[in-house]
Amino acid sequence: MRDFDTAWQRTQFQGGWAGINWPTEFGGRGLSLLQQVIWYEEYATLGLPGIDSCFVGNNHAGPTLIARGTEDHKATHLRPILQGDVVWAQGFSEPEAGSDLASLQTRAEIDGDELVVTGQKVWTSYADVADLQELLVRTNRDAPKHKGITWVICDMHSPGIEIRPLGTIDGERHFAEVFYDEVRIPLTNVVGAIDDGWSVAMSTLSFERGTAFTASQTKLHETVERLMALARERHLDDDELGRRLAVARAEVAALRAMTYLGVSRNARQPMPGPEGSIVKLFYAELSQRVYALALDVLGADALRTDLGLATDWHHDYLEAYSYSIGGGTSEIMRNIIGERLLGLPR
Amino acid sequence: MDLLPTSEQEEIVSSVATLLAAQLPITRVRELHAEPAGVDESVWAACAAQGWFGLGLAEAEGGVGYGLAEEALLFREIGRHLAPGPMLSTVLGARVATGDQRAAILDGAVRVALVERRADGGADVHGHVGAELALVVTDAGADLVALGDVPGLTAVECIDPGTRLAVVARFDATPVATSGEPILARGAVLAAAMAAGVAEATRDLSAEHARTRVQFGNPIGVNQAIKHSCTDMAVRCEAATSQVLLAALTVEAGLPDAAYQASAAKVVATDAAMRNARATIQVHGGMGFTWEHDAHLHLKRAHVLEIILGDRRHHLAGLLEA
Repeated sequence: MRDFDTAWQRTQFQGGWAGINWPTEFGGRGLSLLQQVIWYEEYATLGLPGIDSCFVGNNHAGPTLIARGTEDHKATHLRPILQGDVVWAQGFSEPEAGSDLASLQTRAEIDGDELVVTGQKVWTSYADVADLQELLVRTNRDAPKHKGITWVICDMHSPGIEIRPLGTIDGERHFAEVFYDEVRIPLTNVVGAIDDGWSVAMSTLSFERGTAFTASQTKLHETVERLMALARERHLDDDELGRRLAVARAEVAALRAMTYLGVSRNARQPMPGPEGSIVKLFYAELSQRVYALALDVLGADALRTDLGLATDWHHDYLEAYSYSIGGGTSEIMRNIIGERLLGLPR
Repeated sequence: MDLLPTSEQEEIVSSVATLLAAQLPITRVRELHAEPAGVDESVWAACAAQGWFGLGLAEAEGGVGYGLAEEALLFREIGRHLAPGPMLSTVLGARVATGDQRAAILDGAVRVALVERRADGGADVHGHVGAELALVVTDAGADLVALGDVPGLTAVECIDPGTRLAVVARFDATPVATSGEPILARGAVLAAAMAAGVAEATRDLSAEHARTRVQFGNPIGVNQAIKHSCTDMAVRCEAATSQVLLAALTVEAGLPDAAYQASAAKVVATDAAMRNARATIQVHGGMGFTWEHDAHLHLKRAHVLEIILGDRRHHLAGLLEA
């Protein structure tokens, strides 16, 4: 999986199609987010492979380093992401810090010019194949919980790291728990300041909720069209399914318009705001409706996972359950929208 | 492509909102509900003087020279303020009319009602009181007919107190003007824009209530059941407004998917208006069930908007066949 993903990333880079809206000095094309979205639309139309293990580098760590990293961080890390030389993983959630991320307990002590990290992370996709990790650690246990966190680049090949893969409901094993036992990380790997990692993490998440899923949002349109084709192949003439397919087309059109509105906002205000949570929430719930509809179109074949269809509807249906959980649950998205956009009390 | 309004477009929105707030506050809108035509002639004239009825018409045609995007922003405000009278069919009618007739519509001297034909050969006419003309939207474009030439027109009660409604058992009036422009797509986008305005107005009513209504010692908005209901209204508004603006640009540019995008806008925005209005009644509890509260006026307007210029069934069928 890693080999395929990185080779495909390299192929795109060599063709000039990686980091379309990244600065040219770091290997990008220096073009607009709108031009990046045009690429995503063409990409989705052609049904090209998912980004998978290259997601965190391209859509999380890269944009975060561009926004908050030092010149040295950018020079060291950005081009290798685009060239497919490295795989990044995320290290935010912990067993006791899920939606309440700021309660994270993985500890880091400063020892000379290094941080010494001990603790545990969970839900880390592609940890077993990753080279680097965006890691949140607690550097100050006396400060209020949001004030004692540091965002640091962790080398996943360091001594003291143990990875235990976790199976997920879609049959994949990309998830993992990661354990840290006195893992030593140079202080120069800290992004932002010591104890200021919460604001860096919030910029990472604003990219995740704002622009990281632009490709997926674009792809959902193609998914609905493939579902229409499936319904036609199966000669479905059913009012209820027809109505749901038409509503899916209308809603996926609106998702595309919302993506464009987000791109327009991004052009005026480069750091995505809480509006990104609206698109993330809408996308998650619309995806789940679309894939549930796919299984209804399959009818009794919804029970058969051995059909070898061109689209693995069963896998995609099950995977979509993660969309309203990962990157902030839909409940947390609703709190953010209610409190920050509508001014409702906490 | 930029879906955010420009500063010039924001100025249009601001001037429209200012006029509506000053001359058609909800107290005045409610007074007009009791009057026969339901329209304030002096306000109608003021809207005409501001160029509303020709906002999207070329200057050479007597209009202001903007496009469907600006018209959509205008109608979002009209929807938000529950402005009465057949403004939508008047704007569409000005596009279909020519010569002196068009000038009279643009001046505010002539209002245009909307004919919604039924499968049995009859029709409903929206905004007929005081209207000289009526707009009939056809598959090919649209016709204007003289309302005086429609025999047997009978006034009926409408669920929306701000909409005057009449029925006719058999509708076959002769057109006085005809246009081959995609009036249905334009009209669907503008009805969707009004629905987006209703959706935003109800979102704001609910959020305000959730911030200020205290029960059990706290504003009710601290409770996720209320907070998340308001949030879902905001999500539906974002979907509706985004799709309305995209559809407006698509229809104006005459792109191949114009009708498709217009249908998507109508479906998504009227759904947002309806669901937000329903949720607004619930968020307000007993107050939301009273005639004095505005929630029901938005709900009833949402029903009208869902029916006119292609009902939900019509637009879903179009989306499915594309």
